Amino acid sequence: MKGLFKSKPRTPADVVRQTRELLIYVDVNWNSRDAKREEKMAELSKNIRELKSILYGNSEAEPVSEACAQLTQEFFKGNTLRLLIICLPKLNLEARKDATQVVANLQRQQVHSRLIASDYLEANKDLLDLLVSGYDNVDIALHYGAMLRECIRHQSIARYVLESENMRKFFNYIQLPNFDIASDASATFKELLTRHKSTVAEFLSKNYDWFFKEFNSKLLESPNYITRRQAIKLLGDMLLDRSNSAVMVRYVSSKDNLMILMNLLRETSKNIQIEAFHVFKLFAANQNKPQEIVSILVTNRNKLLRLLSDFKTDKEDEQFEADKAQVIKEIAAL
Amino acid sequence: MTEEERRITYPLDAGSYSLLYEIGSGVSAVVYKATCLPLNSAVVAIKAIDLERSRANLDDVRREAKAMALLSHPNILRAHCSFTVDSYLWVVMPFMAAGSLHSIISSSFPDGLPEPSIAVVLKETLHALSYLHGQGHIHRDIKAGNILVDSDGSIKLADFGVSASIYESHPSSSSTSSSSSFFNDMAGTPYWMAPEVIHSHVGYGIKADIWSFGITALELAHGRPPLSHLPLSKSLMMRITSRLRLEDAHEQCGKENDKKKKKKKFSKAFKEMVASCLSQDPSKRPSADKLLRHPFFKNCKSPDYLVKNVLQAVPTVEERFKEIRIGGRHPDEADSGGSASPPVKNRRVSGWNFNEDVFKLDPVYPEESDDKCAIKCIQFSGDELISNGDQEGNKESKVEEEELAKKACEAPPNSAILKESLVPNLVSLLSSLELQRGMVMDVLAHCGCKDGKEQKVREQREQQLLGYVRSLQQTVVDLNLQLQREMKRNCELEEALDSVRRRSGEKQRTTGT
Repeated sequence: MKGLFKSKPRTPADVVRQTRELLIYVDVNWNSRDAKREEKMAELSKNIRELKSILYGNSEAEPVSEACAQLTQEFFKGNTLRLLIICLPKLNLEARKDATQVVANLQRQQVHSRLIASDYLEANKDLLDLLVSGYDNVDIALHYGAMLRECIRHQSIARYVLESENMRKFFNYIQLPNFDIASDASATFKELLTRHKSTVAEFLSKNYDWFFKEFNSKLLESPNYITRRQAIKLLGDMLLDRSNSAVMVRYVSSKDNLMILMNLLRETSKNIQIEAFHVFKLFAANQNKPQEIVSILVTNRNKLLRLLSDFKTDKEDEQFEADKAQVIKEIAAL
Repeated sequence: MTEEERRITYPLDAGSYSLLYEIGSGVSAVVYKATCLPLNSAVVAIKAIDLERSRANLDDVRREAKAMALLSHPNILRAHCSFTVDSYLWVVMPFMAAGSLHSIISSSFPDGLPEPSIAVVLKETLHALSYLHGQGHIHRDIKAGNILVDSDGSIKLADFGVSASIYESHPSSSSTSSSSSFFNDMAGTPYWMAPEVIHSHVGYGIKADIWSFGITALELAHGRPPLSHLPLSKSLMMRITSRLRLEDAHEQCGKENDKKKKKKKFSKAFKEMVASCLSQDPSKRPSADKLLRHPFFKNCKSPDYLVKNVLQAVPTVEERFKEIRIGGRHPDEADSGGSASPPVKNRRVSGWNFNEDVFKLDPVYPEESDDKCAIKCIQFSGDELISNGDQEGNKESKVEEEELAKKACEAPPNSAILKESLVPNLVSLLSSLELQRGMVMDVLAHCGCKDGKEQKVREQREQQLLGYVRSLQQTVVDLNLQLQREMKRNCELEEALDSVRRRSGEKQRTTGT
């Protein structure tokens, strides 16, 4: 008999609508500690899980693109994303993870060959500020962080975050004591500064002065090993990218930068030394070295040559050896 | 872990912890028992990972830390917190007082655990796997060394990502042979690895965990994983060639073994369950959820059963670690299996383990054509052997490797991949053969001072063995040559193709203008 009263199967849009209603309820009635709220919370978690299984499929079925499109359209028609992000701290761990995966997946869903998630975020940019500030909260940092990294897949959104005041906060987030959170922030930071080439190049040339001042003093000269190691790797990735060549030329013409790099070359950490070499070689290879750079290199020529000749990677690396020979030649010829 | 436990905030600085003593160590990590001073000296375990030495790049470390922070299940070891201390990453975790099952087995159950205890361990492990797989995670390193037990018998699966093992000691890790450094690049610990993980181009799947789970079941039953008395490279080769054969040593040592061997009987349900996990075809292996419904787990006891039946017989974690340490200094410790092979009690003899009980695992795979009726025989020692490939012995291995070589030559689309996986394997096989040869000589020299008759027999064996080793070496050399030839041919073909392309391009251009 039970089957008779069973409601007809819900469409993906129905699930989104119900999720939205539940989110509104939870948001408004948060302070009432009654059984009804518990019940609504459980129902909400179930709905979020259902959204996830529509988008990702489950052990029995692959996702259906038509259903995904319906879901995505309904999701962004209303303010569901905003509600979900705001209510995330109120969900339990499993529901938070599901919600994060749903938001991540939605960034890639196309409706009529448009990424409507991008349109929505452009109209609701304050949400990105909210996601960034998640790094201040231990309980939600990893969830907001994962959502944020998916959102900055959209170039316009990445540009917004890069140019926002929030960008400065990353220099502190990267050095938070909690490793999970610090390394998540550092992954987001790297993504922001490497993913969209033209946007990054534009950002770096516009913000060169403050950005590299912070980068050098807070990251490359940080007392924290892992911060230095990640920063020097990222610096290499940025400067060696063809699209950033103007920035690179500017960076390697500065005496102060050279001094920082030469200090990193002397580190006891092999990993840091090797990454530092990949940036240092740009200073040496620069065909228009300013006089002050030349004089530093000449003054330290013997020490540098000795250091470089003892310098080896663990694995054989032809490119590294070739670069090294070139740098040695350049310095010896000065 | 309950919600409440999570609310305790553990401090994020080294000064708040007092390290008591080492309870495990790996290639790039050490595990300590420690207390957390601000939390009333609560006991914790701290895994200190050397980020400078660990090969994993920092992204992998980040992913592992994140996975450990976001997984929440009673059968999964979750980190309390993690922070860096200079170039070390400290991961603060619950202290599991009874240590890993690997260490329990090697200290007190060298011949394996009794079946009811195995069932408890496996069932709890399956709960963890079912949760992990439901979350889209693959563990990739299921083995007794990563299954931890607390003093109340509760069980947690540890070590996500494939860094050094928690609570696992590798006393021989310093003697890095060429083979062990090669295998460090691969995910997982070789003896537990599923064939499709070795064939890494096929990619990992959840079912790879199920295979390793099956191997772990055998490890719990017998005290060590199957094929583990072979050098690593050989063990891997055998799985790549889809055959786990009965080893020749079996015939020679059979008589001695019979006297020593404790007769062990395992239930049909157990054998059937393990066999299903070890299906060569990943799609035929059951999921963790399905395994939980297997009859073998029907009357399974609760975890506290382990307290009386296993834990009482076991010395404390710290005593065990000390023991291994002292043992580790023994000159005979050098081990053909490289860092990953578990410490075996009667090491003194050699890495070959001739005196261990006979093979347990002998799935015989019929020719590829009829894989529908794959006959798998799991032979538990003491039970009757039901296999049809056990007498092929010596010759078989040569045939097998020749087949492999043929395959390498006959299948041009795959040849690049085969080469990739074969060449390093062959190289490491060669080096480990050399090593074993030395060890066999040692053993023989050792036995040389015994009485005359025995010596003759031993001399015969020596000849046989040396012959076997030589023929294998020869095969390896041949295979290498064939591969080189094949590679050269490939190169030539590619060049030819290139020039044809270039010529046709030129033609087009000329006709275009």
